[in-house]
Amino acid sequence: MAVDVTIPTDLWEEDTEAAITSWLVSDGAVVSEGQLIAEIMVEKVQYEVRAPASGAIKIGLPVEAVAPKGGTIATIS
Amino acid sequence: MSSVAVAAANERRLTIARAMAEAIAQEMRIDHRVFVMGEDIGTLGGVFGNTRGLFDEFGAERVRDTPISETAFMGAATGAASDGMRPIVELMFVDFFGVCFDAIYNSMAKNAYFSGGTVKVPVVLMTSTGGGYSDGGQHSQCLYGTFAHLPGMKVVAPSNAYDAKGLMTAAIRDDNPVVYMYHKGLQGMGWLGTEPAATVHVPEESYTIPFGQAAIVREGRDVTIVSVAMGVHNALKAADLLAADGVSAEVVDLRTLVPLDRETVFASVSKTGRLIVVDEDYHSYGMTGEIIASIAERDLSVLKASPQRVAYPDIPIPFSRPMEQFALPSPEKIIEAYGKMKGRRGWRWM
Repeated sequence: MAVDVTIPTDLWEEDTEAAITSWLVSDGAVVSEGQLIAEIMVEKVQYEVRAPASGAIKIGLPVEAVAPKGGTIATIS
Repeated sequence: MSSVAVAAANERRLTIARAMAEAIAQEMRIDHRVFVMGEDIGTLGGVFGNTRGLFDEFGAERVRDTPISETAFMGAATGAASDGMRPIVELMFVDFFGVCFDAIYNSMAKNAYFSGGTVKVPVVLMTSTGGGYSDGGQHSQCLYGTFAHLPGMKVVAPSNAYDAKGLMTAAIRDDNPVVYMYHKGLQGMGWLGTEPAATVHVPEESYTIPFGQAAIVREGRDVTIVSVAMGVHNALKAADLLAADGVSAEVVDLRTLVPLDRETVFASVSKTGRLIVVDEDYHSYGMTGEIIASIAERDLSVLKASPQRVAYPDIPIPFSRPMEQFALPSPEKIIEAYGKMKGRRGWRWM
């Protein structure tokens, strides 16, 4: 069963979109739940994205792409 | 499991910012003399992210936010190092060197010599370099040559997170002052521009990269492209474009400017016969001229064509985005330089 990796909805208050600044894993890598997998940025402030599940990750959006709160940026299966 | 899958499972990619912070934390855990100071390096974790997590782990005594007074804290770092400590001091932008250059140039770099070697000054001066994100001429310079020119200091400039960690660990353990110049566009901080290729696998365990050993990051036969930091990524992109036209480019990442690995550059140019030096620092009186001179004065006969340089033009860095982008080194300018060596004009000769 695939689990979506989404932009957290509770890290900043406004409805601002986040930009992906770094993927810290490669497409297809096996990740563990809780592992730091990406950094995202909102107005010059960086936030961390951690894996919501263990499994192989399929990256959906590249570095510099923008996503809204709750938007899917990868899937883990 | 295939070897590729094993590698992916053990993968641990870090940005240069995280790699620097990890190296500092590991050295702070094993050496109580190591401490960090600078502007906004405490609770904020550094405006370029390279001291994140240190304040929480080591506290305000060893991770010290300073007032905006480079004159004072650069002198304090020199004094602390002379007295047995091992400070890591951040000059937030290298462009701000002017107000603390007496401490750097006349004390930090020379006290070991002045004292006949009885006083060591093991400072790591880490400082951000580079432009490309429209921050104007007093926040965008590289100034590699300004620091590499003066005897007494080592100068390092990593292009990726693996080198960044190993060079930082080596810098902290070195008994001499080391100027650690990190390019803002390689930090993985987003708003400074992003170069994904700088974010690479970094082992968790501590390791060092010896100073004075350049890395051949891409092998080739027809031309040698030499650079550091962001220039290495421009060189690699140029090498990809050249390869599409059947030209095989070798890319040399110097990694440290002082000491300078002239041997590796000479060996590479002896093989390819052609040399392009790429530098985001100013064109004149800098790294590009130094590299070319070191080949020319050793053996002109290895050269099949006049060496070329792709450097920042000798102008103040423009704030305007189109003007700044026009002035910066780029893969296209490197290809144009290669075409010039082959007697062609313009970069679209391919």
